[in-house]
Amino acid sequence: MRWRYISGIISLFLLVLALIMAIPLLMSIVFKDGAHVSFMWSMVTTAAAGLLLKLLSRHMDEDARFINQKEGMAVVALSWTAIGVFGALPFYFSPDFSSVTDAVFESISGFTTTGSSVMTNIEAASPSLLFWRSLIQWLGGMGIIVLSLAILPFLGVGGIQLYKAEVPSPVPDKLSPRLSDSAKILWMVYAGLTLLLAILLAIGGMSVFESICHALTTLPTGGFSPKNSSIAHYDSAYFDYVMVVFMVLAGINFSLHFQMLRGKPLAFFKDTECKIFLGLALLFTLAITLDLYGSVYDSFAAAVRYASFQAVSILTTTGYATADYELFPGLSQVILFACMFMGASAGSTGGGMKIARLIVCCKFAYRELFRLIHPRNVRHVKLNRMKVSEDVLRSIMGFLALYLFLFVAASAVMAAMGLDLVTASGAVASCLGNIGPGFGTVGPAENFAHLPAMAKWVLAWCMLLGRLEIYTVIILVVPEFWK
Amino acid sequence: MKIIIVGAGEVGYNIASRLASENKQVVVIEKNPELARVLFEDLDVQVIEGSGSSPATLTRAGIQETAILLAVTDSDEINLTACLVTNLLSPSTKKLARIRNTDFDAYHEAFKNQIPYIDTIINPEIEVVKTIRRLVDIPQALDAGDFADGKVRYTGIRIDAASVMAGMCLNDFQERFGESRPLIAAIIRKNEVIVPRGDDCIFPGDLVYFVSHADQIHDTLKIFGIQVKPIQSALIVGGGRIGARLAGQMEKDGIKTRLIEASKTRCLELAEQMDNTVVLHGDGSDQKLFLEENLNQIDAVISVTDDDETNVLVSLLAKNLGVENTVTRIGKSSYYPFLTTIGIEKVVSPRLSAVSSILQNVRQGKVLSDISIFGERGEFIQAIALETSDITDRPLKTIDVPKGALLVCIIRNGNIIIPTGESVVTPGDQIIVFAVKQAIKKMEKLLTVKLEFF
Repeated sequence: MRWRYISGIISLFLLVLALIMAIPLLMSIVFKDGAHVSFMWSMVTTAAAGLLLKLLSRHMDEDARFINQKEGMAVVALSWTAIGVFGALPFYFSPDFSSVTDAVFESISGFTTTGSSVMTNIEAASPSLLFWRSLIQWLGGMGIIVLSLAILPFLGVGGIQLYKAEVPSPVPDKLSPRLSDSAKILWMVYAGLTLLLAILLAIGGMSVFESICHALTTLPTGGFSPKNSSIAHYDSAYFDYVMVVFMVLAGINFSLHFQMLRGKPLAFFKDTECKIFLGLALLFTLAITLDLYGSVYDSFAAAVRYASFQAVSILTTTGYATADYELFPGLSQVILFACMFMGASAGSTGGGMKIARLIVCCKFAYRELFRLIHPRNVRHVKLNRMKVSEDVLRSIMGFLALYLFLFVAASAVMAAMGLDLVTASGAVASCLGNIGPGFGTVGPAENFAHLPAMAKWVLAWCMLLGRLEIYTVIILVVPEFWK
Repeated sequence: MKIIIVGAGEVGYNIASRLASENKQVVVIEKNPELARVLFEDLDVQVIEGSGSSPATLTRAGIQETAILLAVTDSDEINLTACLVTNLLSPSTKKLARIRNTDFDAYHEAFKNQIPYIDTIINPEIEVVKTIRRLVDIPQALDAGDFADGKVRYTGIRIDAASVMAGMCLNDFQERFGESRPLIAAIIRKNEVIVPRGDDCIFPGDLVYFVSHADQIHDTLKIFGIQVKPIQSALIVGGGRIGARLAGQMEKDGIKTRLIEASKTRCLELAEQMDNTVVLHGDGSDQKLFLEENLNQIDAVISVTDDDETNVLVSLLAKNLGVENTVTRIGKSSYYPFLTTIGIEKVVSPRLSAVSSILQNVRQGKVLSDISIFGERGEFIQAIALETSDITDRPLKTIDVPKGALLVCIIRNGNIIIPTGESVVTPGDQIIVFAVKQAIKKMEKLLTVKLEFF
C-alpha cells in the first residue's frame, strides 16, 4: 500500500470540499445571516488540512499511477471518512451544535444521504447552514469521488477502482467508454433532474430557497428538509405527488435515465430490476392504502396520498415524512420496516440492499431448490437475460450475509446502551439503509438527538457502511488488509 | 471519436492501452471473461463480453457511431466476419483487420475493393521477417528499423571494451572521424535512455543507437570497428508462417538454410515448398539434433516457434554452443524486461510489430510514423516540418531543442541529410526526431504536430 500516494489523492478531495464550501459562504454573505465566520473557518481548516496532506504525500509519475483494488477501496473509505469529518466543521462552528459527535453525525448523515438528524429546531438555524445541509446530501448522492472524476481527469487509469468502490451497484457499468465521460453523464442527468424538481416545486408555491433545498435532498434520496415537520409542513397534495414521482425517479438506475434521454423511451420497462422496483412501489402503496383506509383515514384519496408517500419515501430510502407511520396499523409498519432493507435500484442514489441483489438472491435460492429436484441440472442465474457470473453471485450473497450480520450486531450494541428493541433495531436498519427516520423513539416524529454519544458514532459508522456498500468500509477492519 | 477493438489479446490490449492513454473512446469486445475483466480493471475503456463477429454484440458496442473498427483477434476468420458484419451494420465505419494466413495474400486487394471493403489489412509477419533479416545480416546489431521506405535506418549495437568507441566522447568525433562521423541518437546505459550531447561519452557495455543511410550502414559500422561478414548459413527453428517465409527469402539470397520443424506433416508441406532449404524433422530444443547438424559451424540461429519458452531455450542452447548471432521470437511482452539478464538481446515480436503497424495506420495529420524502442521509453518520430513550427528556416544550433530530444535526419526531395549545427530545415522537409518519453510532449509543441491517432 503506497500511503503517501494515497494521501495525495485524499488531499485532492479535501481541497475540492474546501472549494465547495465557498458556495454557502457566499450565500451567507449575501443573506447576511451571520454564519459567514463559521464557513470561513471551516473552509480555511479544510484547505489547510488538504494542503498539509498534499505536502506529506508523494507525487507518482505516470507509470505508477495505477491504483489497485485494495488501494482504491482504501482511498474511497478514507476519503469519505475525511469528507464526513471536515464537512462537519460548519455544523460544529455554528451555534446550533454543541458537540463534535452531533456535528459529525449530522455531516455523515448528510453525505451518506441518510437524513437522520440531531437538530431539534431546524427552522432556527441560519439559511446558509440549512443550505449546506442540503448540499452535502446532493454531493453524497452521486458521490463526491465520481464528481471529481468528472471534473478532474487526473485519475484516468486507476479511477475505475474508485468508481467501483463508490457507485452503489454490484456490477458497476460504464455508460461511455471513458470514465470521465461516464461520470459527466451521471452528474448531468442528476443535476438536470434536480433543477426540474426545483422548478416544479417553485411553481407549486414553495419559496425558491426551500424548493432548491428540497430538490437537493430528493434526488440523492437524502431526506433532509429545512422544515421541522418535513414535507408535512406544507400539507399540499401537489407537493406530495411531485415528490413521490421524483423519489421514484431517483430510485431508478441512472443509466436507464441516460438510455431514455438517448431516445429509448421504453428503457424503464425493458429492465427487470426497474420493473420489479416500480411493481413493488405500487404493491406496497396498495397494501398500505387498504390498511389505512377506514382505520386511520376516512377518505380513500387521503389514504392513497399518505400511503404512497410513506411507501415510496422509505422504499427509495429518502426518508421524508408526511405522516407519523408509527401511528399506522401493524401491517403497514411491517411493510415499511421491510422496505428499509430492500432499498432502491442498483446504480441509483438510493441505499439499502438494492432490488437487483434481492432478485439475484431469490433466483439463486430457486436454483438451489430446482437442483434438489433435478440434481444434474445445469443452469445460470440470469438478470435481464444475461448470465450473472459466479463471481458476482458470490459477492452478492456475501454482501447480503454481511448486511444482516451487521444489522444484528449493531442492534445488539445499541440495545446494550439501554435502548429498547424497536428503537435499537429501527435506528440501525434506518442508518444502514441510509433512510433517515427509524422506529420507536427515533421515528419520523422524533429525531436522533437524545441518543447516547456512543450510539451516534455506531450509527454514523453504519451509514458509511451502507453508503459504500459494506465491502469498501469493512475491509478496513480486516487485519489481512493491513499486512 | 469512438473506436471498437475486437479481441483483447496481446495485440488488442496494447492498442487499447495506447489509444486510451490519449483519451480516445475505446470499446473492446472480448469473448473470454477473464481477459475482459483484466482489461476493464487495467484500462479506461469499455469492455463488452461477447463475440466480435456477432451483429448483436457489435450493435451493443455501438458500431453505428464508431469511426474505426480494429479486428485484431488471433483468428483471421473472426476478423473477416467482424468486418463483414460491420459493413452491413455501419458502412461508414473504417475497418482494419489483422489477417495472417498467407493464403489470403493474393486477395488483400479484393477485400479492399469489394465486400467487406476493409480499409487496411495488416499482416505483421511480413514486417517481422524483414526485421529478422536486418538483425541477422549484421550480427552485432541488437535492434534495427527503417524509415522513409527503407532509405534511413537506425541500428542499435552494444559497445564492448575492445571497440575504438569505448571511452570516447562525442566532442572528439569531429576530430577523429571528420565528415563521416556517425550520428548517435541514443545511448542506453543501465536501463536509462540518454540522448547524448557533445560532452557525453560512450562506455563499454552501452547500447548505442545510430542513424545512417541504409546503403552506407556498412561504412558506418566500420567506424565502430565492426567488420560485417555476410552470413553463409542459418538455422531456423519452427516452420510456422514466419519460419517458412524467412526460409524462402534466405534460400533466394543464397544462404545455406536449415529449418527444424516438430510436426511431420508440416515438414512434408515445407519440403514441398522449399528448393534448397534442408527441412529437418525434430524438436528444436533437442541438444542431440543440434550436435548432429554441427550447429557450432552455423552463423545464425533464428527461433520462431509459437512457444516463447522453446524459443528462449533454443537461443540459450545455441549461445552455449558458440553461436552468438541468435534471434528469438517472443510473444509475451511481459517477458521483455528479463531477457537481457539471461543474455537474449535480439528479440522480435509479431504481436508488438502488429501493434505498431496498426498504430502507424491510424496516426493522423503530419506525423508519418513513430517507432518505439526499448520498452517505449524512447521514440523515433517521423514528421513533416511545417512552416508554422519553430524549427524551420534557421540553423539547427540556434534552435532550443527540448532536453532529451534530437533531430537525427532530414529528408529533402528524397535525399537524406544527416544534420549538423549549421543545417537548416525548410518547410515541407520530412524530419526524423528521437525523443525520450519525457520530452515527447515538448517535442510535439516544437514541431506543432500532435502525436495523436485519427
